[in-house]
Amino acid sequence: MSEFFYLIPALTILIGAVFIMLMSMYEKFSVKNYITVASIFLFIALGFSISEVANSYSVQPYNDLLNDVLIFDTFANFFNVLLILGTILTLLIGEHYFRHRSYFNGEFFSILLFALFGMMILAHSNELVVAYIALEIASFSVYIMVGYNTEDARRVEAIFKYLVLGSFIGAFYLLGVVLIYGATATTNLTELSTYISTHSGDDMILVYIGLTLILFTFLFKIAAFPFQSWVLDVYRGAPMVITAYMASTFKIAIFSFFLRAILQDIASIINFWDTIISIIIVLTLVIGTWLAISQNMVKRMLAASSIVHTGYLLLAFIALSYKDGHIVNIDSAYAIMFYLIAYLLSALGTFGLASHIISETNVRVTYDDFKGLAHERPFLAAMMTIFLFSLAGIPSTIGFIGKFYVFTEAINAGYTSLTVLAIIATIVSVYYYFRLIAVMYFYPAPLTCSIEGFNDKRVSTYAIAFVAILTVLGGVGSAIVFFIPALNIDTIIGLTQTAVQSLFIK
Amino acid sequence: MSSDILSFIIFLPAVVAFGLMLTTKDVNTIRNIAFLTTTVILALVLKIYIEFVPSAGMQFVTNVPWIETYGINYYVGLDGFSLTILMMIAILIPTSYLLLWEGKTKGYWINMLLVQTGVTGTLLSLDVVLFYFFWEVMLLPVFLLIGQYGFGNKVFTTIKVTVYTMVGSLLMFIAILYLGVAYHNEFGQWSFAYDELMKITTIAYEAKVWLFLAFLAAFAIKIPIFPLHTWIMETYKNAPTGAVFLLSSIMAKLGVYAIVRFMIPIFPDIYVEFSTWFVAIGLFGLIYFGIAALMQDDIKRMFAYSSASHLSFISAGIFSLNSYGINGALYLIIAHAIATGALFLLVGLMQEQTGFKTIKDLGGIAKKAPIFTFIFAIMLFANVGLPGTNGFVSELLIIFGIYEFSHTLGYISALTVIIGASYMLWMFQRAILQDRPEGSSELVMRDLKIKEIIGLAPWVILVFIMGIYPEIFMNKFEPTVTHYLNDILHIGAAK
Repeated sequence: MSEFFYLIPALTILIGAVFIMLMSMYEKFSVKNYITVASIFLFIALGFSISEVANSYSVQPYNDLLNDVLIFDTFANFFNVLLILGTILTLLIGEHYFRHRSYFNGEFFSILLFALFGMMILAHSNELVVAYIALEIASFSVYIMVGYNTEDARRVEAIFKYLVLGSFIGAFYLLGVVLIYGATATTNLTELSTYISTHSGDDMILVYIGLTLILFTFLFKIAAFPFQSWVLDVYRGAPMVITAYMASTFKIAIFSFFLRAILQDIASIINFWDTIISIIIVLTLVIGTWLAISQNMVKRMLAASSIVHTGYLLLAFIALSYKDGHIVNIDSAYAIMFYLIAYLLSALGTFGLASHIISETNVRVTYDDFKGLAHERPFLAAMMTIFLFSLAGIPSTIGFIGKFYVFTEAINAGYTSLTVLAIIATIVSVYYYFRLIAVMYFYPAPLTCSIEGFNDKRVSTYAIAFVAILTVLGGVGSAIVFFIPALNIDTIIGLTQTAVQSLFIK
Repeated sequence: MSSDILSFIIFLPAVVAFGLMLTTKDVNTIRNIAFLTTTVILALVLKIYIEFVPSAGMQFVTNVPWIETYGINYYVGLDGFSLTILMMIAILIPTSYLLLWEGKTKGYWINMLLVQTGVTGTLLSLDVVLFYFFWEVMLLPVFLLIGQYGFGNKVFTTIKVTVYTMVGSLLMFIAILYLGVAYHNEFGQWSFAYDELMKITTIAYEAKVWLFLAFLAAFAIKIPIFPLHTWIMETYKNAPTGAVFLLSSIMAKLGVYAIVRFMIPIFPDIYVEFSTWFVAIGLFGLIYFGIAALMQDDIKRMFAYSSASHLSFISAGIFSLNSYGINGALYLIIAHAIATGALFLLVGLMQEQTGFKTIKDLGGIAKKAPIFTFIFAIMLFANVGLPGTNGFVSELLIIFGIYEFSHTLGYISALTVIIGASYMLWMFQRAILQDRPEGSSELVMRDLKIKEIIGLAPWVILVFIMGIYPEIFMNKFEPTVTHYLNDILHIGAAK
């Protein structure tokens, strides 16, 4: 029983995916039914995950069957909670959008759950090939979802670009795995870690090359320089809800695996990549910022700004370093995880809200289309403002606290000049985020877009409001709002600490 | 209760604002409740003012953990400096409500309330991160005010002012983080409280100069100190009266206050070393902005330059390293806030009614609106520093301070006061007193209403009391200044 307990969340999602697939054979179910069923499975899984989130544990159940390829620990569980939460919120925020598009049917929700299943397994993976399979389950599901938008001709470009480039970069990953296997005769991360600690010099060359190739995959998936160019077109062509899903949840899943590998297994050699990562950070920040200010379409601007956020996250990665047998600056791992939460909330909020706004007939794509939104739908405009503040790192939102941690840790590790660059990127980001706020608030609505009687009392709106409340609470904490013992910033940090520490349980 | 009273003052307006936002749409109700809130705060601040013990250092302190992991505390408290400015804010805001009474919308009042939370929080926080928090937050309502209720090219102005001030703030942000890390490295634990950060000894000289400049960037932009002033002309011209009032009378002063509260105690040696430069820059700004004000035709732009000119004078006083200078600067902060605040509000009224924006279009106001002219003249004289008004006392003190600092600069500062008098009086003569030329369009202008007169009356009284009998106010903050200077010069010499 006890070992099985840890498997429940992932299995629930898998069963849910199959169940919805079977359901979709019948014509009589509506999109609403699918959303309900998917949510039920998601909430069950979330319940089981959350119940364990504060416990510190690390187990490898069913050894004879799973052969140590999967680890069930607090770290993975922490990411599971985030991933499931991200999926639930995507589903609920998108409720309105799904119901106003004819092309969403039963399979879609099945695929969504399969994608989640892949990501969860990725967070548990302790073996390179299993990680690859999990990554591809998730990726292929996302490829399909990107192509769902049959009303937009750009989907072909989006799906083709993403599929070809993604598969191509997957080949790099496999080559890296092969090289590592060639040197170490294992693909299990724990054994790899033992190999690294007992060998040095020439024995390590293939490992270094292999890991560098795997690093490329990582950079591609999180859209860092030089693999950032697909983001704009893919995000643009995908259905808006899927863009939200990719920008927030999928990105977190990628981080979960690589963060585990870095902290748990290859920590002793991470200093090797410091120079290359710092160059990548500089270029990611500069190019991301430049792309973001030059966009005229809101969706593309948000996509480009997500590149900049990748740059901030890499800044915390570089702050991790290894000295005298242990990781110094382990605090920056907490910073990464906190920033991921902050980014999950704010990205999901902005992209999801944008999708909710366009879910009715009048399409909003460029800045001009957002004119006067505050007068038409003041509530949504206010929510959007909160999310944009959070992305820009304005105090009183969770994005500020996230930036605070990441930058503090980067300075603490001695990367002051890189941090100054990141601050400059932040200054510029204020411009493009505030431009959208200014457009929403300070212009009258264009005449063509008449004020319809919007019905804002629906699931999507509540979900958005929920995310907005979390965003503000996470930034203000409870101490300052008359000392309500609710969500405290320290509690979140405490959770990230427990999660990271569970990696080192032997 | 007595220790939580500051938190109550800080958060009451925000809570009321959110409550009003959700419950009602009626503008009159909102405005009345907002006004009531500000008067309640005024009463509480008066209570604090009476209970305050001048010689006792920080009082009414609340210090509870906010983010324990990084030693960030919700740490508020007040001493002579903050008390004086708190009193000033508490008096200014309700009065400004009375003058802005007519024709505003729901959003306007809610933003005004939120600003009050922002400025009071900024003023009272003693933890640098908390300070940064409020410092940024207080800008957001102003951003919305300008963008929504401004004139001319308001969207461009909003973005410009936001990005401009954000540049300064974020530079300060990185300096704060650097200080925190330095503290962590030296003492092995995290803290961002200003009195803890003062203990840092390990930062290299080079780095310290950069940190000092990063802090200065944030405050110098807000004040503004030459040459970081380019945003204010356009902003003051295009912004609605309320926002101009807030920016010039309150937020600019908070920039000066922040220099005194955080910058100088944390970097006393750099302050001592560079003080000549800053006094000189301050005096240069005073002359430069004064001459620029002489040449303006747009009345709001003229006041923008005049305000900048006075603030340069204040910063020269702050940097003069002695109790005359700092006392004078603090006194001028109050005097200037009252005079400029009143003048901006009166000019706002005048523009709303006549529709004229430039000095040469105006004229003949004195005949149409005698009470208006009378109060306008008092505020103008206070601003110029006529003996008997509070402006005189403070300018005299600053000139003493600068003279003690350096005789040459002292002579220069004494002479520059003439510039201030000349542009102000010239403007007054042309815009208010002079008869309208034959054949020009009819001037539409009503005199002040009774409500507005009641609002302005305390200010007028204050101008004279502060001018004739300064001791009663000085006594509240002079001990703080003396202590403060002793500490700074002592620490500065030790480093």
